[in-house]
Amino acid sequence: MQKILAMILAGGRVDELSVLTFYRPKSAVPFGGLYRVIDCPLSNLRYSNIENVGILSQYRSYSLINHIGQGASWDMVGRHRGVTMLPPFQGHKASDWYKGTADAVFQNLDFINYHKPELVMVLSGDHIYRMDYQPMLAYHLKKKADLTAAFVAVETREAPRFGLARIADEDKAGGKILLYQEKPAKPASNWASMTIYLFRPEVLREVLQENAKSDSHEFGRDIIPAMLGRYKVYGYKHTGYWGYSRKLEEYWQANMDTLGRRPKIVLREWMLRTNLDHQAIRDRQPAVIGKTARINNTSFYHGCRIEGQVENSVLFPGVRIANGAIVKDSVLFFDTTVEEGAFLEKVISDVDVVIGAHTVMGKRNGAVAPQGGITVIGRSTQIPAGLTIGPGCTIYPDLRPEQFTKKKIPSGEAVQ
Amino acid sequence: MNETLVMLLAGGVGSRLNIMVEARAKPAVPFGGIYRIIDFTLSNVMNSGINNVAVLTQYKPLSLMEHIGTGTPWDFIGRGRGAKILPPRTGQKDSDWYKGTADAMRQNIDYISSHPSREVLVLSGDHIYYMDYRPMLQFHRRKRADMTIAMMTVPMDQIKHFGTAITDQKGRIMEWEEKPEVPRTNLASMGIYVFKTSYLLSILQKTGEHDFGKHIIPMAIKKDSVYAYPFQGYWRDVGTLDAYWRANMDLLDPSSGLTPETWGVRPNLEEAGLMSDWPPARILPGAKVSNSVISAGCVIEGTVEHSVLSPGVYVAKGARVTDSVIMHECQIMTGSRITMAILDKKVEAGKGVIIGSGPKDTPNQEFPEQLFTGLTIIGKKTVLPPGVCIGPNSIVYPGCGEANFGQKEVLPGSVIRALTP
Repeated sequence: MQKILAMILAGGRVDELSVLTFYRPKSAVPFGGLYRVIDCPLSNLRYSNIENVGILSQYRSYSLINHIGQGASWDMVGRHRGVTMLPPFQGHKASDWYKGTADAVFQNLDFINYHKPELVMVLSGDHIYRMDYQPMLAYHLKKKADLTAAFVAVETREAPRFGLARIADEDKAGGKILLYQEKPAKPASNWASMTIYLFRPEVLREVLQENAKSDSHEFGRDIIPAMLGRYKVYGYKHTGYWGYSRKLEEYWQANMDTLGRRPKIVLREWMLRTNLDHQAIRDRQPAVIGKTARINNTSFYHGCRIEGQVENSVLFPGVRIANGAIVKDSVLFFDTTVEEGAFLEKVISDVDVVIGAHTVMGKRNGAVAPQGGITVIGRSTQIPAGLTIGPGCTIYPDLRPEQFTKKKIPSGEAVQ
Repeated sequence: MNETLVMLLAGGVGSRLNIMVEARAKPAVPFGGIYRIIDFTLSNVMNSGINNVAVLTQYKPLSLMEHIGTGTPWDFIGRGRGAKILPPRTGQKDSDWYKGTADAMRQNIDYISSHPSREVLVLSGDHIYYMDYRPMLQFHRRKRADMTIAMMTVPMDQIKHFGTAITDQKGRIMEWEEKPEVPRTNLASMGIYVFKTSYLLSILQKTGEHDFGKHIIPMAIKKDSVYAYPFQGYWRDVGTLDAYWRANMDLLDPSSGLTPETWGVRPNLEEAGLMSDWPPARILPGAKVSNSVISAGCVIEGTVEHSVLSPGVYVAKGARVTDSVIMHECQIMTGSRITMAILDKKVEAGKGVIIGSGPKDTPNQEFPEQLFTGLTIIGKKTVLPPGVCIGPNSIVYPGCGEANFGQKEVLPGSVIRALTP
């Protein structure tokens, strides 16, 4: 068995996720009623028996550091197993923030050298998917490739958002990469890069050192194009769910995909592991469903108390929905409280949010609203009772009730 | 020196829990969806700021040992912290099973003396309650007692199950009766003892008696200083099937006082054999769930009312579960009606299975004193074939299947055992 070192790129903020990434990188954003996005790659690594992981983090790392802990949740503690957080550090000359994905790995080449891996896997911590990396690994070895990158088919109209490859039709699993375009206006393919790369370590070292001399340092934009024609670069085709979720609507949809009679994401089959010590998940008792509750097509976890009406929603641990409240099409993070008689439609609330009694949020009445009609609320904000907040609004974190000066907030507005 | 050494007695058979303790000790019986009974005591120790606990096992200890593991869920990990399992061991002369509560202490005198302490706190893993042991320890010190027993008032008709005491005005125990037929007091022992360590060691060496309640306490109160520490609050000995079922139902009654989360009770969510964490519970379109406790991993398409569900339970469309305790990974198929039942782990109720409906006035034929209120118990991994109808007060043993149900109708009060191959 090959000795593999995985480097997870987990430091990106992703502006489009608005207030959800004010205090955490995208990889630490809660997902699916219990997890964080990074639980997907970490659990994938676990089940692929890849047990040495470095996590490259830069932006607001606290939430991520807290979540990863020592890696025990993914069984990565032991003599030959480990998770290491790799924040940026000061170089000999100056403080060096990571200047791109390739630079982040470049600055940690000594970490890679120390581990003496036979293969280096570089992957993003930002995506929602289930994948066994072993077949990709086997493919990489079979082809004696210098770099193998994973691709997934996306809709043609979405293609310009991705790094795209034309892959030679060598076999079912893929082939040589013939052409690579980073976010092109006119896509030549709909095979989108999943940001999962397998490198021969000596090649990785070579190309990163070469790239360090230039002024752009991204794997997709710079490294792959520079390698084409000079190295053996393969594309591996993956099929299955892949949640890019870089927009609020996509992120909301990925959560909705865990619901329904036949969900697109069957969490039980994905076998995700998370850190049960984070957000005190262990300390919570099973959900208490009250006498007046009416629940339809909804998921919830321990610590929830539901007295009101909920449909098509994902409730994280500790969410409380009071009698007479109605919650529809919403994603409510840890310990959100919805008070009596409140109405929520298409709301994403961050942790510890309170929505006051009889406040109406996001009622669309069929009208079109910005950001897909999603109203998003930053962490720890307390929305007072009796407000009417239109769809597609953005409510900033840490607001106290007295900071809301208007009774009515029209569709698409932001409250800071 | 540790101020307090905790000895947790977890070896009890709890035979009145019948088939629920066929393969596990009473402290390991699941409770309240995600807990086991012993979690309440382990969490009390943790929440009292005590870093070490020794767990004395004996009867069917496997699932208990797996559950406690390294003690991590209760924070017993780190230098100077720990949960130790103390099984019975062969003595110098012969194999010595623990013959009672005091004997269990005596056989671990080496452990007690090698961990110098000021007091020994003796607990049992059989009860559902919340208690901070620190005020009791302070009480014990203030009274300069040799031994202090936690006691609470119970209804007069229950007192015959307990050790009872009559105290003077200062709380010193003047008279002691173990399980009296004719009660003279309603002050009952909770099986929680604090000993001055030197006193415990001397008394264990002085006598050869085996049981605190039956032998040692009646002797001790004559000349030593033994006090009753008054406790108030929710406390249940869930030693009978009926009491066990009622305590589970207390979770559904906000006025019962049973609130594991506010008590700080911790389960072990990383059960043996569980390869990933249970995902959130899902209520599918068309389901009806009310007045219930639902654990992670449940998938509900049918109706659940006034019930407690452990992780991974599936309730199909058109099935109905009422007044029941359903443990891990039970599958309840379409058209089933489960009323007032306890289903142990991994029971499968096939299509149209009816449990517990009809008149409740026929007590169980073999265990009339255990099952008479209408409660029905189904053992672990039993498969109930489609259309089987099981009357109230029945017991179906673990591992039963198709072959046991030649007749679809099981009369009230029946006992069904797995056929030996």
